[in-house]
Amino acid sequence: MMSRYLFLGVNALVLIFMLLSPWAVPTREFDGSGYMLNPLGAINPAALKLPDLHLAWLPMMLWLWVALLLAASGALFLPDERNRARVLYILGGIAIALFLLEALLFYQAVTAANTAAVAAGARRPPLRRFAMSLGAYVGLFYGFGLLLLGRMQLPGGRAFLVRYRGMVVPLVALLLSVLVGAVIVAILRPGLGLANAQAIGLREFLAAKLDLVTYTYQILFSPVLNLTGIFSSLAFATPLIFAGLAVAFGFKSGLFNIGGPGQITLGGVGAMLAGVYMPGPGWLVFIVAILAAAAGGALWAGIAGWLKARFGANEVINTIMLNYIAASVLLFLVANNDYKFFGHAVHLPFKAAGFEGRSEEIQPGARIPLIIDLLAPGGHFSWALPLAVVAGIAVYIGLGRLELGRRLLAAGTAIIAGYLLGLVLPGFAVKVSTDLSSILFNGSFLLAVLALLFYHFFLFRSSSGYELRAVGLAPKAAEYAGVNLNRKIVVAMLVSGALAGLVATHYVLGAGVDGTFRLKQSLPTDAGFFGIAIALMGQNTPLGIFMASALFGVLLSGATTLNVQLGISRDLVTVLQALIIMFIAVGGLLPRYFTDPLKAAQVETEDRTRQDELEAKATKAVGD
Amino acid sequence: MEIIIALFFSTLRQATPLLFTALGGLFSERSGVVNIGLEGMILFGAAASAIGVQRLEVATGGVQAAWIPWVGLLFGALMGGLVAAAHAVASIKYRADQIVSGTAINILAIGAPSIVLQVLYNNTSTSQEVVNRIPDINVLGQGHLSILVFVAYLLVPLVWWILFKTPWGLRLRAVGEQPEAAETMGVNVIGMRYTAVIISGVLAGVAGAYLSIGFLNQFVRNMSAGQGFIALAALIFGKWHPLGVLGATLLFGLFRALAIQLQGGDILPSVIIEALPYILTMLVLAGFIGRSRPPAAVGKPYDK
Repeated sequence: MMSRYLFLGVNALVLIFMLLSPWAVPTREFDGSGYMLNPLGAINPAALKLPDLHLAWLPMMLWLWVALLLAASGALFLPDERNRARVLYILGGIAIALFLLEALLFYQAVTAANTAAVAAGARRPPLRRFAMSLGAYVGLFYGFGLLLLGRMQLPGGRAFLVRYRGMVVPLVALLLSVLVGAVIVAILRPGLGLANAQAIGLREFLAAKLDLVTYTYQILFSPVLNLTGIFSSLAFATPLIFAGLAVAFGFKSGLFNIGGPGQITLGGVGAMLAGVYMPGPGWLVFIVAILAAAAGGALWAGIAGWLKARFGANEVINTIMLNYIAASVLLFLVANNDYKFFGHAVHLPFKAAGFEGRSEEIQPGARIPLIIDLLAPGGHFSWALPLAVVAGIAVYIGLGRLELGRRLLAAGTAIIAGYLLGLVLPGFAVKVSTDLSSILFNGSFLLAVLALLFYHFFLFRSSSGYELRAVGLAPKAAEYAGVNLNRKIVVAMLVSGALAGLVATHYVLGAGVDGTFRLKQSLPTDAGFFGIAIALMGQNTPLGIFMASALFGVLLSGATTLNVQLGISRDLVTVLQALIIMFIAVGGLLPRYFTDPLKAAQVETEDRTRQDELEAKATKAVGD
Repeated sequence: MEIIIALFFSTLRQATPLLFTALGGLFSERSGVVNIGLEGMILFGAAASAIGVQRLEVATGGVQAAWIPWVGLLFGALMGGLVAAAHAVASIKYRADQIVSGTAINILAIGAPSIVLQVLYNNTSTSQEVVNRIPDINVLGQGHLSILVFVAYLLVPLVWWILFKTPWGLRLRAVGEQPEAAETMGVNVIGMRYTAVIISGVLAGVAGAYLSIGFLNQFVRNMSAGQGFIALAALIFGKWHPLGVLGATLLFGLFRALAIQLQGGDILPSVIIEALPYILTMLVLAGFIGRSRPPAAVGKPYDK
């Protein structure tokens, strides 16, 4: 069996990684150079000083891992597949437990040393930026790998993977992109702490490179560790949710809307026109401005939809062309006031006075507030938002027997009632740090959540959504069943464009770019392209789109720190996004049956037949 | 008169990168592979050329040497070809959606150069200026044009001859129209497609080199500014024919030249002229200005 020897190779590789990489870094300078712990002895190229640290357990761990690797290597040669699976499950569990034990011992040792130092009169804890590192992580991933391998031994293992291919393919693509990203970083940057070190041996060199790669990803994922980071991540995620939904809505209807950037721009124009110039009470302008953002995007995508429905013109090319036309429209409106057409002077009122190309300010009533100002207006916690969310979810779940339309109506009413009740309830004073209140995480996130719900209920719970999906899967069959194809194409593009246009609520109405409530010439529109990565990674499901947006929100937020600390451009995240798109496009380099539904069904049937045969044999054996 | 001549030269210059890229795209699309990643391949080529030349200048001590820009051009062409090979593997071997794969390359081309620039020059938007540019030729004392401009226009009859007068060209067109029929006649469909896509990347890389070390003397973030897409538009506008492509790129080049010439003038705002190529392409696609029909098998993965 080839695969068994392949597994032996993997085991050897795991051991090599464990011997070479740092397992944990108890302290690290701001520039990233760290004190690297390894069972074979510490690696400390930057000559950092370490206080007394209880680390006697570390070399012992290596022997445990070696024993585990040997046991796993042997386990795969066991004759009976059920026993093989059982042993692999146990070993996988042990591996994960070992990792947890290492983490526990390490953090205990570090905390003890820091407490002791502070007690002895140190001004601040001597150990900073400490964390587990690659050598330990490898063990954890190996543990999960063993569990999966155990499942694969049993009949139906391949079918199990194929059934969850909606998760397997994006995760494998993510893993591959992370690996390629790591290689890029390792090639481009010197290892951490080697800048001033003399006489670098091969061991130091490799350990420092592996440390660099690990620390890069630790920084990228670090925003999940505190509230400020989470707020910042969600702020980055908001435009991605809208843009991802826009692309996914197109995919589901069989259309490729690559025109996100243009639709975002026109959404911004719509929001600006309504938000700056519309007279009337604040709340009305607020609502109209949001609708205008959606309308702007819908209009722009609708052009491509109409051209496809009416003339059969390819929507991919047309939406790309519209992106560039939109860029010209934006410049035309906000970069200058005075133009000449064949000698006739034309004056446009939109650009505000000043050097920068930007519109007038959105009127105060139409501005979308920061989430923190909704949660704790004036430093006083308000129950309104939490109650509204809880009431809405509770009523929706509680009324499970009701017909869907009424259920949603009731949930909507509960949200409003909860909000009003929360306004009346007495809150309490909370301290909001300036860090937190300076994050531009605004209410458009709530709109994004509503958009996710709309996407779910419209596409998967309504008859017109069903028809759209039918058009996407099999246009000919849908048409034969009485669906008006041309009309559906226009509707799909309108909705898709409206979702993209709503990105402008974050950037323009919510001042998500830099805190100014204006439409700027420099309006960021990249989200339109990144929406493709989000839709692919989220496999066009609402939950998947949210998770993918949140993931990239975290990475984008972490990337700002990356640049400051390690001098790696934040465009590393852009590269990761591109790689993910590419790896999902090639089906994660997995066999065809992971991407082709027909072949997937074939594999599932084959595996099930084999499982049935084995069970029949087992029953017969018992009978004899 | 002087303005007309200036406009003429400017048009030739502006059309050159479009022409290289569109002629490349012609091979790819004629073989049945949509190459929406041309924009990214231009950027990769531009970055590789500018950075390559700058590194060579450092290595040789900053001297003026006639061979350096040509090696830089080679870097650009190879880089474009390499990226195109990735697109080819994805869309031919792994049957990836060709639009998705091309989009991935375009996004990669936004991010990857700036990571390298950050490491080499400590900023994410420009590379260091170089002295060894691809040389210009003086045309009858009226103006200067890069050698690559002449190469681009000489390429048009060559591509026409390859596509329509050689057996290889016939096979290529057959692969893009009826791959199954071509296969039964003994044509290696997969091999033809790989070759065609890589040619398109090489030419897009040359277009990038023209931008960074011919037209300018450094790489600037996102310097192609949509020219890959205009080239794609020229391909449609020119009805997938070398002569049509030549006409379309000259027209679009004229628009770009006009947008520069008329800046601050009182005929039309330049932002509107800049949008004209895109608007025209949409009109062509819709069939308002003559119908344009793509190769029949374009965009479809081929199964043996």
